[in-house]
Amino acid sequence: MTALAAIKPPAFMHSDYGPALRPHVSETLDSMVSVPLTDFFPSFAPPITSGYPETLEADLERVRAETRKSLALVDMSNIAATDSVNILASEHGFGLMGGWPYAEMIKTIREVVIERTGCRKIHLRLAIYRGFREADEVAEHFGFNEAFEGRVKGLGPFDQGVEVETAIGPMYLIKRAFDAPKFIHAYYDDPREMYFNRLLYKSFKSFCMSYARYETRSVYHSMFGNRSGSVIPRALFDSDFIQSRYTFSSVLCTTPMGVVGVDATTDLYAIDRRITKSHLETYGRMQRLFAEIKDCVAVWDGGRWGYYLHGGGLIFGTLLTNHSDAFDLDQPVVAGFMQSPTNPVNFSRNKNLRGVVVNQAWVGAGIPYVTMPFTTPMYIVGEEQAQMWREDPTNPLLMDRAKVVDSLEQGITMACEKGQTDKLIVFDGSYGHLTCNQQLADLLKERAPAVDKQVGEELLPKWLAQRGLA
Amino acid sequence: MAIVKLVADYNADPCTGCKLCDIVCPSGAIRMEARKPVIADDLCIGCGRCVDRCPENIMWMKPRDEPLVTTVRAEEVDQDAVAALLLKAGIEASVSVCVCTLTPASEIAGAVIKGAQTLEEVCAMTGMRSGCGIYCVAPALRLLEAAGRDMTPPGQHRWYPTTLSLFDLSDEVCARYPDAYIAEDREVFDPGHKYGPLPKEIV
Repeated sequence: MTALAAIKPPAFMHSDYGPALRPHVSETLDSMVSVPLTDFFPSFAPPITSGYPETLEADLERVRAETRKSLALVDMSNIAATDSVNILASEHGFGLMGGWPYAEMIKTIREVVIERTGCRKIHLRLAIYRGFREADEVAEHFGFNEAFEGRVKGLGPFDQGVEVETAIGPMYLIKRAFDAPKFIHAYYDDPREMYFNRLLYKSFKSFCMSYARYETRSVYHSMFGNRSGSVIPRALFDSDFIQSRYTFSSVLCTTPMGVVGVDATTDLYAIDRRITKSHLETYGRMQRLFAEIKDCVAVWDGGRWGYYLHGGGLIFGTLLTNHSDAFDLDQPVVAGFMQSPTNPVNFSRNKNLRGVVVNQAWVGAGIPYVTMPFTTPMYIVGEEQAQMWREDPTNPLLMDRAKVVDSLEQGITMACEKGQTDKLIVFDGSYGHLTCNQQLADLLKERAPAVDKQVGEELLPKWLAQRGLA
Repeated sequence: MAIVKLVADYNADPCTGCKLCDIVCPSGAIRMEARKPVIADDLCIGCGRCVDRCPENIMWMKPRDEPLVTTVRAEEVDQDAVAALLLKAGIEASVSVCVCTLTPASEIAGAVIKGAQTLEEVCAMTGMRSGCGIYCVAPALRLLEAAGRDMTPPGQHRWYPTTLSLFDLSDEVCARYPDAYIAEDREVFDPGHKYGPLPKEIV
């Protein structure tokens, strides 16, 4: 075992949606370790980014180079010098490794399109989720206003819609996303809610989420199963409305190790096949490794909503749903709002998760969902954070159940005692390693070889075959 | 059901009357008078969307003196009518339409049976959309449509009439996307084969 002293995670953006920045777990608790993911799975290839704050500039230089290399092969003949083009970006990309790699890819796309086509009317459209101020925060933090000469606007699910005729009927996208005659799909491939999207045409998801009105998002989440829901983003992407405006896609490619490259082409279906295969091999192993955790306390320690904070490259939501094999398409429901009468699922409960300590995380967006504090003890560090949760209209009952603690150490002690566990896992935005305590590190190291074998020999062939990728 | 502990308020002096708070309010609690918002406390479900949207940053949420409980209880409405509406819409009664408040489909249907004419009225009666405000919309609109309510959008992009369900897809769509597990999911979510497309000529 080459467990390191706990590594400080990538710096994240301060936001009005979160508390004042606090010291990270890795800076506070001497007992924590960071285990390189290659200790679990030696086959994981090294990333092009280290994720260490002190090497950020070198990381971004490699992202720039990879973006340029990939874009060099892209046919941009459908962009004229006189055109006006929107680059569409999605909010979650700015939660990956502090957001800088995604931001760098976006800025580089603009530079290359100008160089290749002469087109200078390139606008950035930042799709955010709920908070209307988030886009301004992102634009300022990542220097987009300067990079795009002021051609930056945010857009959200409540903004004016545009009706789009699709094979499945009319759907509604956000008008501002498509207020230029052409657009570039600038995406990231974090599998994110893999228990919901099931890695079934995940690369298309923005077309029914980030770029879509809330009605379309509701149809996707609530009116279909989490397999059949894959028809909605594809129907939108295949529509005349989108195809007449679409130029190409550029996707920041990741594994749990970090950024591994950029995949750019006009053929989004081809990108999706490549990403899906890579994800099943890598994120699939990590997801099944998380399933070996039978008792633990999780710590939220980052600059996004707790549900979407990364640990070892996977979001907390993955831990919450680790009781199911998210990638096995023979399993009809892993998580979803449309519930089967014969297979009801409560996706915010995992009995193996014995408690959550909130060192720092954004409030809002209905996350962690109202049920979690009823089933999982939650401990909020500090009165300032507690007050934010009390005032969060999207989690109105959370503070009726959650306990306020004075310190991180106190919260962890109380959570472990109540949950009768000695294992801790931290979601602090880390890739390439998992920050946890020694007890959990030992368990995962012991179980990893069997997981590796099972995925490689049994699960991966099935997952690939189910998606026509064998 | 939602237990609403907060209510919106604002500072009238710097308000420019832009109406964005009115447009994003899910429960119809804000209306404009003389270019200023008027907030109906009994309709405010405490979502805070107006506060977040206000470009002047002059709105806030304040604690209520007593929580407002928004709910339609089962005993208030004809449960046979509720069941019939859910069947027509193809939605299971126990599904949490609003996952933030855990409001089940049966309660949303109950609000419609009780007389809700619009999405805003359903929100005010049940508290749905007081959380994220997003994922609950289509099932609620579908129940309103199944009850024959006017689905003409109210304008100013408050909402758009999208009620598509797994059970509406045509054979042509199923053939075009053969790897989308449409038939399989229909079997999972409707093993009794009791649901079908929503009739488009509902009176």
